[in-house]
Amino acid sequence: MTGYFQLLLPELILGTVACVLMLLGCSMKVATRKLVPILALVALIAVFAIQLGRQGSDNTSARTLTDISGTFRIFHFAQYIKLLVAGVGIMLLLLAWPTNAEGTGNSALNVGQETGEFFGLMLLSLCGIFLVAGANDIILLFLGIELASIPTYIMVSISRPNPVAQEAGVKYFFLGAMSAAIMLFGFSYLYGTTGSIKLDQISQLLHPQAAVSGLAASMAETDPAQAVIQPWVLLAVIMLVVGFAFKIAAVPLHVYAGDVYQGAATPVTAFLSFVPKTSGFVALIKILYAVGGPAWALPTQLSKLLWVLAVLTMTFGNVLGLLQTNLKRLLAYSSVAHSGYMLTGIAALSGAYLTAGRDRNDVQTDALAGVIFYLTAYGIMNAAAFGVLMLLPARDGRPGTSAETFEDIAGQGRRHVGLGLCMAVACFSLIGIPLTVGFWGKVFLIKPAFAGGNNWLVIIVMFNAAISAAYYLRIVATMFLRDPVMDAVQPAGDAKFPFPIAAAIGLSVTGTLLLGTVLPVTQVFTSSTHIAARIDDGHESVRFEAK
Amino acid sequence: MLVLLLIIPLLGAVIGAALPNPRFAKTWALIVSLLTLGVAIGLVSQFNFHPKVEAQNTVDSIQLRFGAVPGTAATGSAYTLLPLGVSFALGVDSISLWLVLLTVFLTPLAIAASFDSIKERTKEYYAWMLVLLACMLGVFVARDLLLFYVFFELTLIPMFFIIGLWGGPDRRRAAGKFFLFTFTGSVFTLAAIIYLGIHAGGFFISDVVHYAQTALSGPEHTTVRLLLALGLLAGFAVKVPLFPVHTWLPLAHTEAPTAGSVILAGVLLKLGTYGLLRLAIPIGFVGNTAPILTSLLQLVGLLCVVGIIYGALVAWVQQDIKKLVAYSSVSHLGFCVLGLAALNTIGIQGSVLYMINHGLSTGALFLVIGMIYDRYHTRDINQLSGLAKRMPVLAFFFVLFAMSSIGLPGLNGFTSEFLTILGAFTSHTLGIKYGVFAAIGVILGAVYMLHMVACVIWGPLKTPELDHNDSHGSGHDDGGHAHAVPGDINGREIAILVPLALAIVLLGVMPNAILKTILPAVELVQKPEKMKPTQALVVAD
Repeated sequence: MTGYFQLLLPELILGTVACVLMLLGCSMKVATRKLVPILALVALIAVFAIQLGRQGSDNTSARTLTDISGTFRIFHFAQYIKLLVAGVGIMLLLLAWPTNAEGTGNSALNVGQETGEFFGLMLLSLCGIFLVAGANDIILLFLGIELASIPTYIMVSISRPNPVAQEAGVKYFFLGAMSAAIMLFGFSYLYGTTGSIKLDQISQLLHPQAAVSGLAASMAETDPAQAVIQPWVLLAVIMLVVGFAFKIAAVPLHVYAGDVYQGAATPVTAFLSFVPKTSGFVALIKILYAVGGPAWALPTQLSKLLWVLAVLTMTFGNVLGLLQTNLKRLLAYSSVAHSGYMLTGIAALSGAYLTAGRDRNDVQTDALAGVIFYLTAYGIMNAAAFGVLMLLPARDGRPGTSAETFEDIAGQGRRHVGLGLCMAVACFSLIGIPLTVGFWGKVFLIKPAFAGGNNWLVIIVMFNAAISAAYYLRIVATMFLRDPVMDAVQPAGDAKFPFPIAAAIGLSVTGTLLLGTVLPVTQVFTSSTHIAARIDDGHESVRFEAK
Repeated sequence: MLVLLLIIPLLGAVIGAALPNPRFAKTWALIVSLLTLGVAIGLVSQFNFHPKVEAQNTVDSIQLRFGAVPGTAATGSAYTLLPLGVSFALGVDSISLWLVLLTVFLTPLAIAASFDSIKERTKEYYAWMLVLLACMLGVFVARDLLLFYVFFELTLIPMFFIIGLWGGPDRRRAAGKFFLFTFTGSVFTLAAIIYLGIHAGGFFISDVVHYAQTALSGPEHTTVRLLLALGLLAGFAVKVPLFPVHTWLPLAHTEAPTAGSVILAGVLLKLGTYGLLRLAIPIGFVGNTAPILTSLLQLVGLLCVVGIIYGALVAWVQQDIKKLVAYSSVSHLGFCVLGLAALNTIGIQGSVLYMINHGLSTGALFLVIGMIYDRYHTRDINQLSGLAKRMPVLAFFFVLFAMSSIGLPGLNGFTSEFLTILGAFTSHTLGIKYGVFAAIGVILGAVYMLHMVACVIWGPLKTPELDHNDSHGSGHDDGGHAHAVPGDINGREIAILVPLALAIVLLGVMPNAILKTILPAVELVQKPEKMKPTQALVVAD
C-alpha cells in the first residue's frame, strides 16, 4: 500500500488539498477564506519539493515505477513534466493571489465567496496534468486531460463578473466538449483495433519486433515497413491529434483562443496559456510514442499532417497577433504561435524515423528535448508578460479590468521603469533575442529540424520569428516610447504593487534571464530535458504489490 | 585582457545606471569609455602585427567551453551538455583589432558630444551607450559563431532605445523600423549559423570555416553553400545596408540623436561588412567556383553599384543635411562591399580600410551637423547658408570632413575608395563594368558633398530665426543669453573634432599603417583553407 501511496503522493496532495480548499471556501469568515491561497501555495511548494527530490534520484538510476495493473507509470518524462508544472504552477498561483481585485475584477481574488472553488479548481487542473503525465492507460489519460480542462471552463466563467467572461466560459466549454468527444472517439478506435487500453501494450502490439529487442531495434536500420500502421489506427491517431490540437490551440482549432483569453480575467488567461497546452502536448507525445513504438516509427501521413499543422499554427498565430489591438488577444494569438513552434519539434520528431537515417535516435531525442525545453521556456517567460499587464490599470477605469489595450500601457514603462523592463525582458524572450531563455528555446527547436532535414520548416520558423518581433516590439515601444494617454485614470503617487504578483513577475524574469545567460544553469535544464526525452530508458520496472 | 573590453563598459553601465546623482552620469560614461580605450591601446601594444605563421593572430583567447564536444557524447551515458558546443571564445586578429580601435575611438567622442544635447534621462542614456559599446566590441572579438550572433543581435536593443527615447520627432517609427529590418535579416543568419554549427560539430569560427572549406568544397554541395551564403547575406546585407534593404537607414540616422548617428554610421554598419568579411565570404563564396555562386557574388556587386549611384543621387536632392549624409552612407557602404565582392587582396584590403575611414569621416560629419543643429535647431539646407562667416572654426572642420568623405587625395577616404575600385576592376568575378560604374559614383559623391558644403558653409550668411522662447537652449557657450547669436564651437567641441581630424589626415598620409598590418588576415580571408581548426575537435562524421 505504501507503494501506491508513494507513487501517487503528488497527485494525492493536490487532490486532497483541493477538496479542503473548497470546504474552507464555504466558510462565512473572510479570515478563513484568506487561508485558501496560502494553503494552495503550501501544497504546490510541497509537490514541487517532492518532484525535485525525485528528479535528483531518478537522474542517477533510470528506473520506471509502474503500479500493479500498469495504469500508472512514472518515468523521466513524466517526472520532468510534473516538476515543470509544479514550478510554473507556483508562478501562476502567485499571479492569481487575492490582492488585485480591482485590477482583475476577479471576485475570487477579493477573497470573495468563490475563493475556495477558484483555488481548488486550479489545483485540480494541475493535478490533471500530473495524471496525464503519469498515465499508461488511455482511460486515465482521457480522464487526466479532462481533469485539466474542465476546471478551466469554470475558472474562466467565475473569473470576472462580466458578461464577456460568461460568454467566454460557455464558448470554451462547448468547443472543449466537442473536442473531448472527438478525442474519446479516437481513443475508442485505438482500443478497438488493438484490444488494449494500456499504452505500453499498444506499443508492443503494433511493433512486436521492437518489443523483443527493446532499444536495440530502434537503433537498427530504418525499416519503412515498420512505419506503416493500420488505417484504423491511423484514423484513431488523427482523431486524437484533432482533440489535442484543440487543447494546444493549434490552427484550425484555435478560434476560441482570442475570445476566451480576452474574456477571462488576466491571471486566468495566464493559466490558460500554459496548462491546457501542456496537457495537450504531453498527451500528444504519449500517443505518438505508443503508436510509433520506441523507434518513433510513424507513417509519413502523420508526420506530414503535423508538419502542416505546425506551419499553419505558427503562421496564423503570428499574423493574427500582428492585427490585434487588445493585448490579451494579442497574447492569445502569440500563444497559438508558440504552440506552432513547439509543433515544429513534434513534426521533426515524427518525421525523423524515415528521413534522418542512422542518427535518427539523436534527432528524435533532440527534437523531443527541444519541445520540452520550449514548454519550460514558454511557461517561464510568459508569466511575466501577463503579470505586468495585471499591475497596470485600464485607462477608462472600468471596474474589473487591468490593462488590455495599447493605450492602457502607453508610456507606462517610463512611469514604472521596473515593470517596463520586466515586460521588455518577457517580450524580447518571446521574440527570441539572445541572453533570454526564448533564444535557446528557438535554437533547440531549430537544431533537430535541421538535423532531420526539415530545412524548409526552419525557414518558416524564422519568417515567423520575424513577424512575431513586430508585435512584441510594439508592446515594448508602446510602453517606453509613447507618451501616456492623458485621459488615463492615474493613481496619485507611486502605485504599490502587491507582493505576490511582483514575486511571480520577479521569478519569471529571473528565470528568463538566468536560463538565457548563465549557461551552466541552462545546461542543467537541457540535460534534464534530454533525459526526459529518452522516454523508454531503463526497462526494469519496479512493481509494488498491494498487500 | 580581451574580456576587460566587455566587462569594463558593462560594469560601467550598471554602475552608471545606479548612480544617485544623474549629473555625474556623463562624466562617468566618459571615464569608462576612455578606460576601455586604454585597454584597447594596451591590446595593441601586445599585438604582433607581423606574424610569421598564417595562423590566426590572437592576443589571448579565453575559452570556456560549456558541454562536451559532440563527438564524445556518444560514449557518455547521458546527454549532459548543452547539446551544442557553445563556447565563450574571444580573440582578435589584425582586422578586428582595427575595428575595435575604431569603436573605442569613436565612442568617447560620441559620449562627449552628447553632453549638452541630451538633457533628459541622462543616466539611462549613458548606460545604454556603454552597453552598446560592450556589444559592438563583443561582435569584433567573438571567436565563436553563436557568441558573435548573440552580440550582433544585442546591439539592436540599446540602439532601439537610444533612437526611440532620445531621437527626433519621428523616433518611434525610426526605432521600430531599425529593429525590425535588422532582426528580420538576422534570423536567417541564425538559421545558417545553427546549420553550420550542427554540421561542423562546434561553433568556433575557424572550425566552421574549415568545415565549409573541406566538407562543402565539392560541386555537389553547391546548393548548401548557396543557401548558407544567402542566409548569411540576409542578415549582413540589411545591416550594411545594401541597396534594396537600405530603407531603414536614412530614417534611423536622421531621427537618432547625434551620438546615435555617429555610432550607427561609424560602427554598427561595420558589423554588417565585418560579418560579410569574416563569415559570408569564406563560408559562402571562397573555394567554390560554381556558376551560381559567382552569379550571386556578381549580384551583390551589382547591388553595390546600384547602391553607390542611387545613394549618391538621392543624397544630392536631400533638403536635410543629416539625411544627405545618411544617404551618402548607403553610397559609401556600396564601395565597401564592392571591395569585398571583388574577392582579391586589393579589394578586401581596401574594403577594410574603407570601414575605418567611413567610420571616421561620416562619424565626424554627423558630429559637426549635430553641433549646427544644437545651435539653430534646423538641418534644412534652405535655411542655413554662409556659416563660415559666423563659425569659421566649425566651417574648417566641416570642409575637412566633407573632403575626406569625397576622397580627396591626401585625406583618408582617397586610398580606400581607390583600392576598392581597383579591386573591382581587377577582380575575376566582377570586372571592368563594375569598376566603371563605381567610379561614376565617386564623381557623384563629390557633387552632392560639395553641393552641401557650398550651400551650408559658403554663400551669404543666412540662419533661421531662433525661437526666443526656446527652452531647449542653444550652445551653452553663449553665456546663457537667450537672445544671443550662437557662437562658434567651444573648446569641448573642438576637443572632440581634433582627434578625428588628426586621424583623418594621418590615415590619408600613411594608409600603409593599416594596409600592411591587415595583409596576413586578409590573405586568410581569401584562402580560408589555410585556417586551422582551433582545437582538435572531433569532426562529426
